[in-house]
Amino acid sequence: MADFNVNLRGVGSVSVIDVKGYLDAHTAPELENVFNKLLDNRQFKVIVNFDELKYISSAGLGVFMAYVETMRENKGDIKFSNMKDNVYNIFDLLGFPILYEFFKEEKEALQKFDSLG
Amino acid sequence: MKLKERLNKVTREHGLENAILATILLFLFNLLFPTHDSILLFICGEILVSLTVIFLYNYIHTYLASRLEFPLSLVLNAGILGALIFFITSGTIALLGDPSGSTTGFFNSLLSILLNFVFIGCAVYIFSTFRELSFLRQKKNPSTYYNTMLVYFALSFFSETFLKIFSGITFIQTAVYVVTIILMGLNSVRVSWIAFLTKRQKYYLLIVSIILSILFGMNYAAVMNDNMIRKILYLFSPGLHTFVNLVMLYGTISFGVIFFTTLFHLPTAEAFDRKAEEVSSMMDLTNLVTQVFDFKELAETITTITARVCNAESAWLITKNKNEIELSSVNNIGFVDADRITNQLFGSGDDDYNSIEIIQYENIIPSVKNGEATFKSIAIAPLKVQGVVNGYLFAARKRDNVFDLDEKKAVQAFADYAAVALENAKLLKESIEKERLEKELDVARDIQRKILPSVIPSTDQLQISALFIPAFEVGGDYYDFFEIDEERLGFVVTDVSGKGISAAFIMAEVKGIFESLSKLIINPRELLINVNDILKGSLDRRNFVTAIYGVINKKTGILNFARAGHTPIHVCSGDKIERYQPQGIGLGLDYRPGFASSLKEMEIQLKNNDIVICYSDGIPEAKNNLEEDFGYDRMDKILQKSHNSDLDSISNNIIQELTVFSKNHSQHDDITLVIFKWNQNN
Repeated sequence: MADFNVNLRGVGSVSVIDVKGYLDAHTAPELENVFNKLLDNRQFKVIVNFDELKYISSAGLGVFMAYVETMRENKGDIKFSNMKDNVYNIFDLLGFPILYEFFKEEKEALQKFDSLG
Repeated sequence: MKLKERLNKVTREHGLENAILATILLFLFNLLFPTHDSILLFICGEILVSLTVIFLYNYIHTYLASRLEFPLSLVLNAGILGALIFFITSGTIALLGDPSGSTTGFFNSLLSILLNFVFIGCAVYIFSTFRELSFLRQKKNPSTYYNTMLVYFALSFFSETFLKIFSGITFIQTAVYVVTIILMGLNSVRVSWIAFLTKRQKYYLLIVSIILSILFGMNYAAVMNDNMIRKILYLFSPGLHTFVNLVMLYGTISFGVIFFTTLFHLPTAEAFDRKAEEVSSMMDLTNLVTQVFDFKELAETITTITARVCNAESAWLITKNKNEIELSSVNNIGFVDADRITNQLFGSGDDDYNSIEIIQYENIIPSVKNGEATFKSIAIAPLKVQGVVNGYLFAARKRDNVFDLDEKKAVQAFADYAAVALENAKLLKESIEKERLEKELDVARDIQRKILPSVIPSTDQLQISALFIPAFEVGGDYYDFFEIDEERLGFVVTDVSGKGISAAFIMAEVKGIFESLSKLIINPRELLINVNDILKGSLDRRNFVTAIYGVINKKTGILNFARAGHTPIHVCSGDKIERYQPQGIGLGLDYRPGFASSLKEMEIQLKNNDIVICYSDGIPEAKNNLEEDFGYDRMDKILQKSHNSDLDSISNNIIQELTVFSKNHSQHDDITLVIFKWNQNN
């Protein structure tokens, strides 16, 4: 039905995941695979770029919740960037901005990682 | 045509009556006229005899037709009658001596009539038997030859009569006689039924047929020779004499042919037996495959049949699931041994038997016990469905001769059946599993409904309307009301993330938590903090629960509530609508102190006739064709328009609008809608 695409790229020591389309219970496993790969490679600094994401369901949100602790325990983090308003509203409603860092631009998130070393 | 049909019907339906009537007439006629001196009497007698023969034949022939399944018993019955004739003829000849003796006198003529009846009966019965035998298992309809023979029998029957009327045509009589014999020969070679007998039956038939052939030959000679029997028959009816004579000859020829045919069939009898068994086994299996769904049971049958049909000492069947091999059934070999040999065969590495293979090994030892003969060859056939091998069927033989082509084919055929059965069993299991899951889902849905309050505590002071529409799957929406005291009413609306059984289970737990905590904690914020703590132990990392918990004071109209990641509360005051979304993260998102510190409580003073709406995200997140959300604004507009209506119509309006909006989309989330209206003056 709804299609979903995920792409992983490295920017320095930070991994950027571009998500595209619809992230729901059916497509969430694809994103999980990417996170598992990152854990295997011990890459804990992650930025998720939401520029082309159209929709996220609770199952999609669950993916970030499942991995954020491991990232943080290893001095990394999951940060969000380029989120459209309608997607941000979902995160906002649930109170994610209290728990996660959101950035308008991917660059800002990268800078945040860089400033912390 | 019609007349013929009716005649046929009469003769068929009243076969017995006709036969009895003709017999009685014939009997009386002969009693009245012991000798047929005048030509008229003679012709009458002949006609009566022929009618009796025809009616008897019709009757017996339909009777025999019902026993075609047992050709051997047909043969045996004919043989017994043949023997009876033999004893009567030899007895009569021995007792009455030469043909010059007298046949007159009442007693003598009575005796002769009875004797003739016995002959008629026996001859007709035997004749009918031959008819059935020559029609048995024929691919082409043999009736042309047969009917021609019948005509010639009739001609022979009446040839004496003609001779009596028009003397001097003896050559015709001889010609008819010879043609009849040729036709008998032609009809006698139709013995294909012999091929279908088992080996044992063939041996039996071989002995019986040679005895009967000789016996009938002797009968023929006895009837032909100039003796008392011939005289009795001839005096009674020359036609009958000819008929009996021909039947005896027919018997001699027929049984002779049967004897030689059987003799020639004997060498292939075993092969034929095996083929027949193979075919019948296949038929049994075809039935089993569609009827038996327990694969083990079927595997048992398949190994048994394989060993038997393929002349193998042992057979066993293994199934392969991914790379795990499981022994399903064994025949005449221990599980341990079968397992060991299988491993031996597959251990060598090149273990893909994609088509049937015969393996000859010197060193396959069938049993760990000493002294047993070794297997000389093993046939391995893959259980293949759509190119995928799901297992193997083994047949092992201790004798020196290798499996021949036929046996190889048979093993493969059985393996194919096993493959189909295995696939069936798998599909059935899957469909049962699916059905089971669907039933469970039904149960879960049922439970979900029961978890929701059955009675809404609506009063004049505080009117309440609550609506819940589940999505197709079981969801995780939950709402409830708790009467804290006479003035205060607690309420909760929650939404468990995810769908299906897991969400339903969490929802049930959430209900339990809220129900017990609502009795202990009145403050909404504190209550939610406690719920979050309790959920820590039971929520999966990626699951969360959004909730709104509030308390309304019916007397003062004060609404206190806290929101944990849930959709906002809308308050409609006149046509003014306010959305309240105090800070608060979803339950289960954070178990650290951050949850409590970020959770804010809110207090709202309601005015008279204010409407408060709580709902789950199934409403704002419902989508239309363009993948747009229903959102908050659409709901607010409906509220604005209908805030003066009663609560149920407001609720209906919202759902109606929502249905129209998302008409081409299936509902993918539960929908919960709880509406309150506070009346100050009551």
